[in-house]
Amino acid sequence: MPSWIEQAAHRGILTSRYPRERGSDAEVPPTGRAPVPSASAGPTGAAIAGCPVGAIGPEGVEPGRCIRCARCLAHGYRFGGPVEASFRAPPGRAGPEGADVGDEPAPLAPLGRSLHLFLVDVGSCNACNLEVLALANPFYDVSRLGLFFTNSPRHADVLLVVGVPTDAMVEPARRAYDAMPFPKAVVAVGVCPCSGGAFRGNPGLRPSLGDILPVDRFVPGCPPTPVQILDAVLRVAGRARREE
Amino acid sequence: MLLPEPSEVLPEELAGLWRGQFGGPAPRPLAPRETVEGYGTFTFPYGPISMGVPESGRFDVVTYGERILELAPLGGYKQRSVLAALAGTPVEDAALRIERIAGNFSAAHVAAFLAAAESARGLRVPVVELWTRALAQELQRIYNHIHVLARIAEAASQNVGQAQTHALAEEILRLQARAFGHRWLFGALLPGGPARNLDRAGRHALSEAVRTPAREFDDLWELYLDSRVFVDRIQGTCPVPREVAVRWGAVGPTLRACGVPWDDRLRVPEAPYNDLFVALAREHDGDALARLLVRVQEVRASFLLIEQMLDRWPADVSLSEAPSPPVRPGRGVGRVEGPSGDLVYDVSVAHDRIVSVAARTPSQANWPVFAFGMRGAVFTDFHFAFESFGLVFAETDR
Amino acid sequence: MELWGGILTAAVAGLFLAAPLAAWRPKLGYGTSAAAAVLLLAASVETLVGGTIHGPVWSGPLGDPEGLTLNGLSGFFAFAASLVWVATSIYSIAYDERRPSLLAVCFALTLGSIALLVSSSSLLLFLIGWETMTVASYGMILQARGRRDRVFSAAFVFLAFGEASTLFVVLAVAGLRLGTGTFAEVPYLVPGTLSTLVFVAALLGFALKMGVAPFHMSEWLPIAHSSAPSNASAVLSSTLTLAGAYGLFRVLSLLGYPPLWWGAVTLGIGAVSVLLGSLFAAVSEHTKGLPAYSTIENNGLVLVALGVALLARAEGLTELYVFALFAAFYQALAHAVAKTVLFLSAGWTEHATGTFDLTSVAGGVKRGDRAAFAGTVAATLSLAAAPPLAGFVSEWMVLESLFQSYQFVPAWVQFLGLISGAAVALGAGLIVIAMVKFLGFTLLWSPASSAAPRRSRGLALPIGAVGAVVLGLGVGAPWVLRFLAPTVSAFVGSPAAAPVGQLLAVPTGWSILSGSPFGILSPPMIPITIGLGALVGLGYYLLGRPSSRPARRAAVWMAGSPAGQPGELYTSFGYSTGLRIMMATILGTREIRSSAGSVSEAGLATPVPYSVDLEVLDIFKLFYDDLVRAGEGLAALLKHWIMPGRLGRYLAYILIVVVAVVIYVAAAAG
Repeated sequence: MPSWIEQAAHRGILTSRYPRERGSDAEVPPTGRAPVPSASAGPTGAAIAGCPVGAIGPEGVEPGRCIRCARCLAHGYRFGGPVEASFRAPPGRAGPEGADVGDEPAPLAPLGRSLHLFLVDVGSCNACNLEVLALANPFYDVSRLGLFFTNSPRHADVLLVVGVPTDAMVEPARRAYDAMPFPKAVVAVGVCPCSGGAFRGNPGLRPSLGDILPVDRFVPGCPPTPVQILDAVLRVAGRARREE
Repeated sequence: MLLPEPSEVLPEELAGLWRGQFGGPAPRPLAPRETVEGYGTFTFPYGPISMGVPESGRFDVVTYGERILELAPLGGYKQRSVLAALAGTPVEDAALRIERIAGNFSAAHVAAFLAAAESARGLRVPVVELWTRALAQELQRIYNHIHVLARIAEAASQNVGQAQTHALAEEILRLQARAFGHRWLFGALLPGGPARNLDRAGRHALSEAVRTPAREFDDLWELYLDSRVFVDRIQGTCPVPREVAVRWGAVGPTLRACGVPWDDRLRVPEAPYNDLFVALAREHDGDALARLLVRVQEVRASFLLIEQMLDRWPADVSLSEAPSPPVRPGRGVGRVEGPSGDLVYDVSVAHDRIVSVAARTPSQANWPVFAFGMRGAVFTDFHFAFESFGLVFAETDR
Repeated sequence: MELWGGILTAAVAGLFLAAPLAAWRPKLGYGTSAAAAVLLLAASVETLVGGTIHGPVWSGPLGDPEGLTLNGLSGFFAFAASLVWVATSIYSIAYDERRPSLLAVCFALTLGSIALLVSSSSLLLFLIGWETMTVASYGMILQARGRRDRVFSAAFVFLAFGEASTLFVVLAVAGLRLGTGTFAEVPYLVPGTLSTLVFVAALLGFALKMGVAPFHMSEWLPIAHSSAPSNASAVLSSTLTLAGAYGLFRVLSLLGYPPLWWGAVTLGIGAVSVLLGSLFAAVSEHTKGLPAYSTIENNGLVLVALGVALLARAEGLTELYVFALFAAFYQALAHAVAKTVLFLSAGWTEHATGTFDLTSVAGGVKRGDRAAFAGTVAATLSLAAAPPLAGFVSEWMVLESLFQSYQFVPAWVQFLGLISGAAVALGAGLIVIAMVKFLGFTLLWSPASSAAPRRSRGLALPIGAVGAVVLGLGVGAPWVLRFLAPTVSAFVGSPAAAPVGQLLAVPTGWSILSGSPFGILSPPMIPITIGLGALVGLGYYLLGRPSSRPARRAAVWMAGSPAGQPGELYTSFGYSTGLRIMMATILGTREIRSSAGSVSEAGLATPVPYSVDLEVLDIFKLFYDDLVRAGEGLAALLKHWIMPGRLGRYLAYILIVVVAVVIYVAAAAG
């Protein structure tokens, strides 16, 4: 009779080598990266006009707005941004992608190595929720890094917020933040809490999570891949992956 | 009474089988509510933020302790007004928003929406495009059903099993990313999607790659069936009687688990399903186990469908033959069988821009039967029952 | 000793004298009761320390010497009862001025009659006290507030069970008199039919009064279903049942060597009572019904210990015999004291909320007075057998004596010990649920909206003081147990010489030994250990405080919803519904729905309001209902056929009787 153990042994080790090694292509597909203009890029005017969310401006691609729809690929852009692309600056004022990586002190550094994560959905499409929860599956297995999901913000160190903030979720999200003990950090996962993403400007939505909670790190992407979420969490804990 | 034919559906009927679902501020009932009183009863609020249900939505549980007398699912917390804000947007831009209504059902949503929009505009779509949509939908169906299995295993503390099943779900996500360039198939069904790798080599690679998860799934399910604890826990949990499911308009695996042979892929066979063998999954008990068994059969059927599709892929036809868009406003209905059930879009288009969009999503149809089935259950049944329906708040709060 | 005899007489007379004073001024009556109870307390302590007290002796109507006396056994029960009375009487002074003075009269009479029966030197006086007690307490229950028909029916049930009890007690006393030829306390040591008859009658009669299963109707119905005044409830639950226990011990002390089955029956009744009492307590929704059920459980524990003692006696296990007796006495004492606090506290919370319904009381009371709060916590935890309180020590002793049932030789007795042990352990667990529920939903949990109970030192002080006694009886158990040695000697001593050396060996130094090779417990070490731990914590707090960040208060996390909305608070009923569903076979749980129309028929658009009630019932109540129905049937039969109300028929009866008597006399003469 086959057993669970046999089955598991048969499949071997699935777990990612991240953060010891950089994220693989299987872990971060092309759409996991922000588009950048390639050498053969045509005039930016067409790309700016073609972008449905206004993420491309004269000074470049704003990752906190891009929903990875691939329209700009026709104008000579390619998905070539860095994998670890989380940023601290509020959306709309974000500099070039990855400019501030590791520059500022990590807010949770004094906590040591183990962190507890709590997921709050303030109006997502469920994809980011599932990507966050995927961190617990054997491919990413964040418990090997001392990260655990908790069922109450009372035990949480990091609030992972997904979705574009709706009016109805402002109060509940603040309650969750208030319920957390100090020191605490907020990581905004996905383009929605950065800038509203595809739904920017719809009635009843707040433009950014930064307006209702002090956000320590924004993770762009629609949705960001688990490896990118993991990178942001490790960064607020001061444990970011270092290039050898 | 089953749902009327799509052509007979009025937009206002599509808005909800039970009208209370729409409009109104945040704690908005998603199922008809009764007033239960009695000595010692109280309302136990669960949500909107709980890790047990990873989405934002609230359940008011009326109980006298231990037993659920009434469960009221309340939505509206993530109301993003997607459909209302679509008026005036180009169809292509609207599709980007439609697929982000519910990320894990994106292929079904966008396929139904595109079908409706194309019918409204009078466009004929190349057959290969229909096949691509079907392939994406079957992959996503497999993902969602496996995810449901993993969540139920998680609730039943089948720790090794849930880890293995979640890993399998992740493998499917990676397959989707390989085939369509995006883990959640966003943009994949639109012309010029992110990275559609469906040339001959890509199809060959996919048909090779799909074999491993198909075998692994069969092995896993054998092991689940061996676990008496697991089967016992979901057998008889949250039963939905056949007549309730039919009268209240349940759809998808929920309906088929009550013995009703209703599957949109078989109803009016369209390309590619008219050319393929589609097995009907059906059970009769209407409980969480029956719903799960339906899902398991559908996973197998979908693997088989994918194999058939990749075998008989139609010749490529370029999209350039599309006729010029008509000036007069048109209205069309698109209907597909999503992972959680029958999904209907009703789209009015004028000058290639959206006039109005209405939709009837499977979650919307199934919330009332879920609430019905939970009456008389105990607290610990909740997660098994909830996951077995495959309900998503995002589909109602759109 | 002349002086102490006089004090005893003054105490009993004072308790009776309080009755006419109460008719004049209720507060004066309660005050007199309190003073007399203090006298009785002093006399009983003297008995336990200095030896038997002899009061006045006179010649009874049947030629036997009657009189007042306190020996080791009665002294112990007088001690426990007077302790309760002092507190209850002081409490009663402040309890409620609007109560009728008849309540105070009946209260005083109840106390006096219990004192009389405990200190009676002859069984005749005992019987007189017994019957006075029954009638007086009936009068007390009649003073309850609420719907008159309910009060009357509850009081009637109480009286019916009380008179049934008297009937059996009279039988037992008559049996003893038949055997010994006197009402005086002379042991009847001849084994045989008569002593069996006496035992059965005594067990039935006194068990009826103790309210143990299957006679628990007599205990809970009047107290739980009528809103009897709290001071009356305390006296009834703590000391009336104590009187029942006393009677059983007294009669048993007069009987000779017990056959094995006496102990087995006692043990069985006790174990069933423990289980049923605690189960019903856990699902009770009445702030006085819950303690009343707990009384059944505690009296069951007394019977369990007594049963083990009788078995050990029959098996010749002297050490276990003595230890189980200690356990029985300590259990009775611990219960009487702690239960008093619970009823006084229930009356106290009723002041704040105007109800005895636990679901409505819940969250309605502010902690108010600290002494009363601490007293209630101590008593509740003691009844839940939490260390180091009195109930913990006594329950430990009962369980320890049950553990030693492996020493019994017959396999069935061992098996009985095993089963009873399991029942008692389960009951001990269930009673924790009950007590947590009582404490949690009355006092511990108090939202801001709750009303403070009336600030009254007169109400709060007795609660606090008795609570302190509960703590003292727990921590000081090894020393208190030493004072109980005369009690055990008095029980054991009459039929056989007491192994005094072994008796004193049971409490050893700071600890209690349960038989020399078995268990050991040191109650005083528990607070000492906790205290040391607290000192370590305090030291850490004072010396090594790592951070000076001030404590931050955050709202309760309710899954993102605002906390503390009305109608969203967990009810005490909900707290124990799990038990109702799990134990549905015993409790007969059923759900009653108001509307038959199900939701699916109603359709989606028209919600139908309906109500749901989850009811439990007592299988024994069904039995008694059947009994009542049978009795009514019999009465109807009598009415129709034998006493149809026709004069001719009655004259015929008289004629028949006259003829029968004439024939009998003639036959006897001839």
